Amino acid sequence: MLRYTAKQLLNIAVTLLAVSFLVFALNELTPIDVARKLLGPYATQDQVDILYKQMGLDRSLLARYWEYLANALSGNFGESNLYRRPVAEILWDRLGNTLVLAGICFAVIVPFSALLGVLAGMRERSFVDRAVSVFASVCASIPEFALGVFLLAIFVVGLGILPGTSPLSTSGGWPIWSQFVLPVAVVTLYDGGYLISMIRSSMVEVMRQPYIRTATLKGMPFRNVVVKHALRNALITPFTVILLQLNYLVSGLVVVEMVFAYPGFGRMMLEAALNKDIALVEAGALCAVSVTMLTQILGDLGYMALDPRIRV
Amino acid sequence: MADKLHPIIKLAGREFADGKLDRRDFLRVATLLGVAAPIAFGMAGLPIPARAQGTPKKGGIVRLGSRVHDLKSPHTYSWVEAANGARQCLDYLTYTGVDNVTRPNLVEKWEASPDLKSWTLRLRRDVTWRKDNRKFTADDVAWNLKRMLDAKTGSSVVGLFKGFILEEFETGEKDDKGVAKKSTRLWDANAIQKVDDFTIRLNGKTANLGIPEALFHYPALIMDPLENGEFKVGSNGTGAFEMVELDVGKRAKFVARKSGHWGGGANIDAFEIIDLGDDSAAQVTALVSKQVDMIYQGAIGTYATIERIPHLQINIVDTAYTAVARVHSIKPFDDKRVRQALRHATDPDAVLKLAHRGLGKPGEHHHVAPTHPEYANVGYMKQDIAKAKALLVEAGYPGGIDAEIVCRPQPDWELLAVQTMVEQWKEAGIRVKINVMPSAQYWSNWTKVPFGFTTWAHRPLGTMVLSLAYRTGGAWNEANWSNAEFDKMITEAEGYLEVDKRRAVMAKLERIMLDEGPIVVPLWRQVFNYTDKKIKGYKLHPSSYIEAKDMWIDA
Repeated sequence: MLRYTAKQLLNIAVTLLAVSFLVFALNELTPIDVARKLLGPYATQDQVDILYKQMGLDRSLLARYWEYLANALSGNFGESNLYRRPVAEILWDRLGNTLVLAGICFAVIVPFSALLGVLAGMRERSFVDRAVSVFASVCASIPEFALGVFLLAIFVVGLGILPGTSPLSTSGGWPIWSQFVLPVAVVTLYDGGYLISMIRSSMVEVMRQPYIRTATLKGMPFRNVVVKHALRNALITPFTVILLQLNYLVSGLVVVEMVFAYPGFGRMMLEAALNKDIALVEAGALCAVSVTMLTQILGDLGYMALDPRIRV
Repeated sequence: MADKLHPIIKLAGREFADGKLDRRDFLRVATLLGVAAPIAFGMAGLPIPARAQGTPKKGGIVRLGSRVHDLKSPHTYSWVEAANGARQCLDYLTYTGVDNVTRPNLVEKWEASPDLKSWTLRLRRDVTWRKDNRKFTADDVAWNLKRMLDAKTGSSVVGLFKGFILEEFETGEKDDKGVAKKSTRLWDANAIQKVDDFTIRLNGKTANLGIPEALFHYPALIMDPLENGEFKVGSNGTGAFEMVELDVGKRAKFVARKSGHWGGGANIDAFEIIDLGDDSAAQVTALVSKQVDMIYQGAIGTYATIERIPHLQINIVDTAYTAVARVHSIKPFDDKRVRQALRHATDPDAVLKLAHRGLGKPGEHHHVAPTHPEYANVGYMKQDIAKAKALLVEAGYPGGIDAEIVCRPQPDWELLAVQTMVEQWKEAGIRVKINVMPSAQYWSNWTKVPFGFTTWAHRPLGTMVLSLAYRTGGAWNEANWSNAEFDKMITEAEGYLEVDKRRAVMAKLERIMLDEGPIVVPLWRQVFNYTDKKIKGYKLHPSSYIEAKDMWIDA
């Protein structure tokens, strides 16, 4: 297991190096002139040329990449063109905001979908099963932005009991906690819909196993059958899927962040990419890749712990 | 007083008396040439506009929903939104009001020489810098002007002073194509002359009528020279506020200066800008749940919703804002008949209704707006599909043509206008594909794309627009258009101060644009934004400039 982990960590290092170069090279292809972007459409060409040189953009791709890499390895990720602040500062701030949102969502989604999924799956084709299944498919099939607009129409425009945006500032007169309600609700419904279906089908599968029938026939109360025999096995398959939601929650919340004006990682990455803010795009991409790969390792390790048949 | 008046004012006064110049135009010319606004209003026989809306109350916070850009370098701002932050702490030398009349600000009074080449700016003597109570002097102004006009600074103010006190020169370097690179510098060591501690003179190479307005260009903010061109939290300024917090992409906060502001200070205690991103729906929901009190600009798509919210108000203003569909002179648009066909195939009225809710006026395919003083009415071009088709056949395209237009997704009306025109063009056999490019990418390519849809900001004079955008080698000539006769006539028009004569030349210029010009102008926009009804003392500026110190809250 130690060897496996070490191997995977090495794997991550190599991948990060490759990704950092790819992002740098691909960014080169974006047809945006950074100097022009910074000075605006109305600056004259010679002013743009001067800034271009000042920023060292007239040097070769490799020279710039090498400089970037050397700085990054010594912990200096440069300064963001867009926010004119050290990348580390802005990245941690926005990533922090997203992690808070993602954390709350994760803490709500997992028990919420596990409960509904198990309830639905333990008695296949019962009324509860049908109701939950319909609910889950409806939620999962409405796009996040539409779900956001529906909830906004009801709770903000109609009832006026929740704030319409979540800039994480109390100057609007709404407490911070209230600004989390709608974003969390949208993510929970959208993502939960999908997870519920996954857990439900896994539970249905398990409930059909012979050992469940045996347990039931020997007179074990249904509640114990579900809790002691079915639950753990039913959660093994969805476990990886649940962990994969972490990726989505960290880098996939961009739509929700836009709808609710939430200052998070996804929105920051979108704006950095649109503004060709290479230092920020690089650091953000490396962060996202690290999160993805670390959750994969975590998933593998967790899988081993849950299912003794798997060993590396 | 009368003998001291600038000769052009006398002339303008005569034109005004003869009914050739309307009141607004007379006011504009008179105030630009240094007549104080109240006197000019009197000369025009107009009442001095009163600050309506009751007595201002003190206190409270106004929160503006707008992008929060980096504010570090005011002289190089490329966004009005950024200037709307710094302008609360820093002042301009002049101030062009909502009515298009330019008034004194840090400059108390200005005078132009009879040939309009030399402008004398007399500064207020009661202005002090907030941090150290130092007097604001001519040295501060000279430092700021020199810094803005230095090509290395990168300020777009340069474009407005090119030809006046800036001259172009060849740097000796060549670009990739072997064309000599050009840069700008002051044409004379004495171009920015300090006359005494409170007087600055600009000595120009050529005449320029628009200097007071150029000084109100949004990056032309006057900074404390000791701050070295950087604006940050706590930075010194002559303005009514101090910036106490800046979190780019999130929030900026400005607190009113306690005492010593030359204009009497602000009514409100604090002004906040909250970044709501680019999503116009988020701006609406923030207004609805009272998280912000106003937003920078409204989007066409949200107008109908706001009309139904009782505590919100829609502010509207007429402007010369537009966007033009323009082509480069390459196949198939190298034939002027194809360009004409494009204009004949367009129905400006329909575009105005469908893409801009009818807010504004239909365009006439030349870039001179009815709000411009020298606008000449050469007729509205109605859609004529048969004529467009005939022109295409004549040009050798009986089967129609195919092209691709590049446009931006935001603001929403631009894409709607392009979609509407593309449908109209289709009827005439002009099949155009739409390529939507994110704004940032568009502004890096706007002069390079063969066929594009470009926003043009409001400018007070028609000659300014034509000179910038359609003169051979003009700074922002995105069409690479060149017509020697046209160039000559622009210069001719710029030489006439009498609006009548200018209008006669303008009619010819407009006809040339209709005949062979590179653009389709679908509409002139009315610009609008939304405010909470409790905000008073605010009027929407045609350039969307926001001045927090005049606002007050009627709770």
